[in-house]
Amino acid sequence: MTRYLRLYIQFLKFSFSRAMEYRMDFWFRIVMDCMFYVVELIFFTILYQHTDMLGGWNYDQVLIFVSGYLVIDAIHMTVFSNNMWWLPIYVNKGDLDYYLVRPVSSLFFLSLRDFAANSFLNLLIAGGILTWSILRYPGELGAANLLWFLFLVLNGSFLFYILQMLFQIPVFWTHTNRGLLTAFFSANKLMERPDKIYSKWTRRILMTIFPALLVIALPARVLFDGPDPQMIGHIFGVTAILFLVMSAFWNLALRSYSSASS
Amino acid sequence: MSLSLFLHIVNLETKKLMSYRVDFWITMAVNLVVNLVILWALWTAIFSESGSEIIGGWDLPGILSYGVMVFLTGRIVRGGDLQMTVATDIYEGALSRFLLYPRHYAFTKYAQQVGNIVPDLFQSVLMGLVALPVLGISSTTAITPLTVAMSIPTILVAHLLFFMMGLIPQYIAFWADNVWSLSVMLRFVTMLLGGAMLPLSLFPEPVQQVLHWLPFAYLFEFPTLVILGKVDFSQWLIGIGTCLLWCLAIGSLSIPVWRRGDLRYTGVGI
Repeated sequence: MTRYLRLYIQFLKFSFSRAMEYRMDFWFRIVMDCMFYVVELIFFTILYQHTDMLGGWNYDQVLIFVSGYLVIDAIHMTVFSNNMWWLPIYVNKGDLDYYLVRPVSSLFFLSLRDFAANSFLNLLIAGGILTWSILRYPGELGAANLLWFLFLVLNGSFLFYILQMLFQIPVFWTHTNRGLLTAFFSANKLMERPDKIYSKWTRRILMTIFPALLVIALPARVLFDGPDPQMIGHIFGVTAILFLVMSAFWNLALRSYSSASS
Repeated sequence: MSLSLFLHIVNLETKKLMSYRVDFWITMAVNLVVNLVILWALWTAIFSESGSEIIGGWDLPGILSYGVMVFLTGRIVRGGDLQMTVATDIYEGALSRFLLYPRHYAFTKYAQQVGNIVPDLFQSVLMGLVALPVLGISSTTAITPLTVAMSIPTILVAHLLFFMMGLIPQYIAFWADNVWSLSVMLRFVTMLLGGAMLPLSLFPEPVQQVLHWLPFAYLFEFPTLVILGKVDFSQWLIGIGTCLLWCLAIGSLSIPVWRRGDLRYTGVGI
């Protein structure tokens, strides 16, 4: 465990020094993510000009929900996104060999190696927006609810990573995963809306088969309605099962991998 | 300008895109299902929770039709999305090859982008045939053969405008190390202010007034309103003319950027 921690600190050092080599891109990317945040907030602000409630949430509640989503997106962009980008390239060019021969878990190495230092600034900004939306909330949220919410947001980031990996891994067989990834990013929109707007059957599907609602919508419910043990158990249970499925899928993919250079 | 050369490049690009057929169908199916689910869920919830029958000049079937049509026409318009193609040519030195061609670089790139929209066009027509019948009849929209015919040149002009808008951020690659984020920024802004996320009639009145003077509405909202029968013939002519003027203005702005960048460009190892 300490070995992995030391390795991750090295990843961080390397990523920060590399990010500062391309300073213009560094700032472009920060502005880009800020623009994404603004667009998301404006979208819901305009919707609430025409209704007081959406999926049972008022504007103050939806602001917290959206800010929570922005934090999850920022965590993903900071920790996982670059690595997800490189994975198909490594597989297709045979560069994966270099990572498979190292004495650490290949999944750990390939998922966490490239830390996006510029997105880390955006993570701070998204965290600021979440703090602001919680502080301006007129009702009482409760410390326990808040702690559960923050913990479930972290779980949501991990679940988001697992879901993307499940769409990435087929690249070992298909060699191009452009269609699957486009499908994944398109399906992501499902998690950017309050869960109660969906019909009963759609919600069931989005809580089990493609558990998009467990990423941020249900954590927000825990924040507003209090920690329901059944709901929290469901979120952790599905995350654990999907992690096991992803690990098995990864191992299967590695067995099918034939290096391009061998 | 050689039409046969243009069509040849269009043909080549279409064939290249169609070589990944699994991607093609997966993208189409998932996009259609996800967009229909979200549109339906979001707008039925808003209409039911607000208790209104008309929002921003739209009834429920009307706004659903808008959502579907803006998604379908938007796919074609965004076929002009250069993404990183120009920047990649500059970074990798592939631009040198294009500089030797007997046609301007932007001409070749535009022909390639038109080639990109052929599969999108095919997908959009198929999706429209599947989606529109299930949305119900609206009292605020009227799709007719005439509006469909009027929408074709509108979409093509919008595609040209989208291409032109994407050129300048890409030309910045002559100076900057990575311009991917600039293109993504442009996409965010055009999607929101162009009406791809929401009809612009839902925006506050002062914002609508400002947007009227900007080119974004001609990208997504205008072609959608044309196809939904919400634009009469004179408004259509004015709209097409304004869109072409914006193409001219933005195209003219890109010329000095290209010239300066071209002077800076060094192709290594070609």
